[in-house]
Parts: sequence; structure tokens; C-alpha cells
Amino acid sequence: MAIRRTSAVGSTLIRYAILGAWGLFCLLPILYFLTIAFRPRNEIITSHPIYWPTITIETWAKIWEDWPIGRYFLNSAEAIAGSVFICLLLGIPAAYSLARYTYKGREDIGFYILSTKMMAPAVVAIPVFFLFKNLHLLDTIWALMLVYAAMNLSIVVWIIRSYMIDIPREIEDAARTDGASDLRILWSIIIPICLPGIITAAVIAAIFAMNEYLVTLIIATREAYPLSVALANFSGGSDGIIYNAIALVGFLAFVPVLILVILIQDHLSRGLTMGAVKG
Amino acid sequence: MADVTLDRAPGWAAGRAPIRRRSPFMRQAFPYLLVAPAVVYLLGITLYPGLFAIWRSFYNGRFKLEWAGIDNYTHLFTDPDFWASLWNTALLGAITLGVEFAVAMTLAALVYRDPLVRQWRILFLLPMLFMPSAVAFIWKLLFNDGRVVADLLMRAGLLSDNIDWLSNIILARLMLVVVDVWEWTPFLFIIFVAALQGQDKEIEEAARLDGATWASIFFNISLPLMQPIIVVALILRGIDIVNMFAPVHIMTQGTPGGATETMSYFVYRTSFRQFDFGYASAASVVLLILITVTAQLLVKKHFRSGRD
Repeated sequence: MAIRRTSAVGSTLIRYAILGAWGLFCLLPILYFLTIAFRPRNEIITSHPIYWPTITIETWAKIWEDWPIGRYFLNSAEAIAGSVFICLLLGIPAAYSLARYTYKGREDIGFYILSTKMMAPAVVAIPVFFLFKNLHLLDTIWALMLVYAAMNLSIVVWIIRSYMIDIPREIEDAARTDGASDLRILWSIIIPICLPGIITAAVIAAIFAMNEYLVTLIIATREAYPLSVALANFSGGSDGIIYNAIALVGFLAFVPVLILVILIQDHLSRGLTMGAVKG
Repeated sequence: MADVTLDRAPGWAAGRAPIRRRSPFMRQAFPYLLVAPAVVYLLGITLYPGLFAIWRSFYNGRFKLEWAGIDNYTHLFTDPDFWASLWNTALLGAITLGVEFAVAMTLAALVYRDPLVRQWRILFLLPMLFMPSAVAFIWKLLFNDGRVVADLLMRAGLLSDNIDWLSNIILARLMLVVVDVWEWTPFLFIIFVAALQGQDKEIEEAARLDGATWASIFFNISLPLMQPIIVVALILRGIDIVNMFAPVHIMTQGTPGGATETMSYFVYRTSFRQFDFGYASAASVVLLILITVTAQLLVKKHFRSGRD
């Protein structure tokens, strides 16, 4: 018995040691990066790293002066909001159709929509560049909006579809006997009930849009810089890469994402697997 | 399975027909009309780029197009850089996915019965919430520009001198693996935790009462039960890993000697750095074919099981 108890204590210790080590591995780079945002430039790129930071926000004034950080933030916000709006506008009816009707080709349409998730950004980049060039939309928020919407529409449809399938059919049938039309049922019954799913889909689409890098790099060349690409351009001649600006912008994007993820965290795994995991 | 059509639901046609005044044609067309806008929009990002890339791959030149026939393809298949990028993508992808799976599953197995995991799991998710470009800069600083990793290894006595991570093929690739593992293990972790928590506790309890060890319960019961979810999660992660671009672009740019050049970076470099759009289009057509074949094989098979 004594042996068993020690081994139980031992295994608990090992368990917490592993979890603690991974926790530190996750957290320490973030904390280090956070201090970077508050450090003078001469402390960042050195021959030996300085672990105890001199905290200052002096550099911030210069960062805000040198780069239109506020506009980058707005660019991101507008492109993301627009793309999520398009995704929901097209995605909710499509999800309803896939979840609630039986018709010829439904499975194929569903899988076609899902398979677009596999489209490589590298394949899309060149054609999309020429498309927007011809439309004179290069370096505009509109172009980013349209691309993000196309990239995320598949996951939005599949997430919302997974929530709609779970709604008991009796609820709709009751409304239908009362004379409500299909669109009316979608609007006043289905959408309110699967609002958590819709919000989850919107948040995940927003995060993916925020993260997009390759196609954004090609479309946004100056005026339309969103945060993801703007931070890759914070380098100025002799100064090299300006890490405190990068860290600042990185956290500027991180904080809203963190808040959104905390709000939907119970739905996160279901959303990320497009409904394959419930819970 | 709730697959009975609304239109054909029992009692529908008989008693309640007057409620809807739609013509039979409209009734049939309605679900198609609901799904059509999304499909049309998506064709724009799959069919159009595919056709454009195929067309463009038969031409050379930057602005004035010259017919090139299959020159771009013959050139591509004899280009060692192209084969290297395929190999790098496969190698980096396999290693990264393997490590992420092993780590995420170990962590998930250690925490899923922890009563407080809901409260603190967000800590493990934090790396995933940064933009990939920001993450690439975090690690560019830690590895090379700030020399933090080398300094820590030297303090631990594992390293005698500072190293240039970009000077060595293995180290440069290792860097990309570390970055992806750091950022995206949480993705698999949260899915695996949810899948394990969703399993019936009573099965485990019964097995434990029968004297099964923790390990045999995990490997013989829990793991097989969650296999469909594991496959879905690995496919989704695999898609992203195959498209790995931001860390390559920001940290290595393919150095040393193309050892870290992924397929995405190969297409980007040949098109938007060297402006050889015809050649890059040929590469993206090959990429597209690889992706389409894989998608057909994997997605249809494994996502169907998730339905209803």
C-alpha cells in the first residue's frame, strides 16, 4: 500500500511537472514579447539578451508618429467585419438548406463547399492578384473583404449547419402549421435558436481573417495594410526590424481575439472542427 | 437522422397544403436557391483561380504574354528547387504534425479529468491567439535577432557558443518546427480535451472496476473511440501545415540554400519576387492537383462520419 501511495504521489508530481513545463513554454515567449513592447530599442537587439527589462513607453510616441497604427487597426477591423458579414449573409441560408432539406446533390454541394477549405492560398494568390488588378481593387479593403469572405465561407457554412441539425424539427413544424413561410421560420426561429453557433462561426471566421498573411501580402501594398501584414513592414533602414512596434501591433490584435475566444470558449472545439466535436 | 424532407413530411401534403402558396417548381428550387449564392461565390475562389492558373501556365512573360506551350511544366519538373520545396513541405509537415499530435494528446490525456481544466485551459491556448506573422517575429527575435534561445542553452550548459540558426539545414528546419508546434499544438489540444471529456465516464469506470490500468483504458477504449475526431483534427491541421508560409517568409526566406522553402513559398518567390508568373502558375497547377486529389480522398471519407 505504501508503495502504491508513493507511486500515486510520484505520478501526480510528474503530471504537474509536464503540465507546468508546457505552460511555461507557452507563456514565457509571450511575456518576453510583451516586455519588448515597453522597452527602449537599444535593449532589444543585443549580443546578449537582457532579461530584466527597463520599462518605458517613450518609444510608443515615436511608433504612433512613424506609422499610422490606428489606420492599420481600422483596416483590419473593416475588412474583417465586412468579410464576416458576407460569410453570414451567404452562409446562413446555405447552412439552412444543407441542414434542413433533402434534395438531389445536397451531399455533393456540402462537400464541395467543405473542399474549398483545402484551397491553398498560394494557388489563389496569383489569379486573385490579376483579378483585383483588372478591377482596380488592388490595395483596397474591399479586395481583402472579398478574399477573406471566400476563404472562410466554407467553415461558416459547416459550423452553422452543425448547429442547425441539432434543432428539433417539431419547433419548425409548429410554426409551419401556424402559417409561417420558410424564410420567416429561418429568420425568427432557426437563427435565434442557433445564435451560439452563428456567433462561434463569426468569431472563428474573424480570427482566421485576422491571421491571413499570404494573399493579404499580395493584395495590400500600402494603403490597405491590415495588422497582420503591417507588422511585417516595421523596419526602417539602419534601425533594422523595429520589434517594439511589432510587439505593440501583435498585442493590439491579440487582445480582441483573446476576449472573443473567452466569450465562445465552450464552443471553440466544436467550431474549430466544424461540428465534428460536440462540447 | 433527421432526413425527412419538409415537403414530404407526413401529413404535409394532405392537410396543410394551402398554407404555402408556392408553385411546385419553387418548392423544389427553394433549397437550391438558398445554397446557390454561397456556391457561386465559392466557385469564384476555386474555379476561377484554377482555370486562370492553367491558362497562365502556358504563357511566359510578365506583361506581354508569349505562348510557351508546356515549357513551364518541363522546366518545373526538372527544377531541383521545385522538388526540394515538395520534399521540404512533406518533411516539415510530417515532423510538425507528428510532434503536435504527440504533445497535444499527452497533455489532453493528463488534464481531461482535471475538474478545474475549464478555468485554466485558456493559458494553454494563448499561443494560438496571436497572428502567425506576429508569432514568426516573436521567434525570429528569440532565435536569431535577440539570441535568447542560444543564450538559455548556453546557460544550461548545452551549448558552448552562440549559433546562427540560419546557417544549418537542420537547425533552420527545427526553427520552423518549433514555431509551428508552439503556436498550433493548442489547436489539437483543445479538440482532444473536448473529445475525451465528451466520452462516457461510465465506460472508463467500469473498466477500472474490472482492474484495467489507466494505460490500457486510454489506449484500448478512449483512443479508438475518439479516432474519427483525431482524423478530422489532423486533416484540418495538416491543411494548414502544408500551406505554411508566414514563418518561412518572415524567418528564413527559404535559407539556407532552399532547405526551408515550402511549396507556398516557392510559388510566392517565383511569382512575386521573380515575376515569372507563367512558371509560378505551372507550380500552382501542380499544387492544385495534389490538393484536389488529397481533398477527394480525405475529406469525403472522414467528414461524412461526422454527419448526423
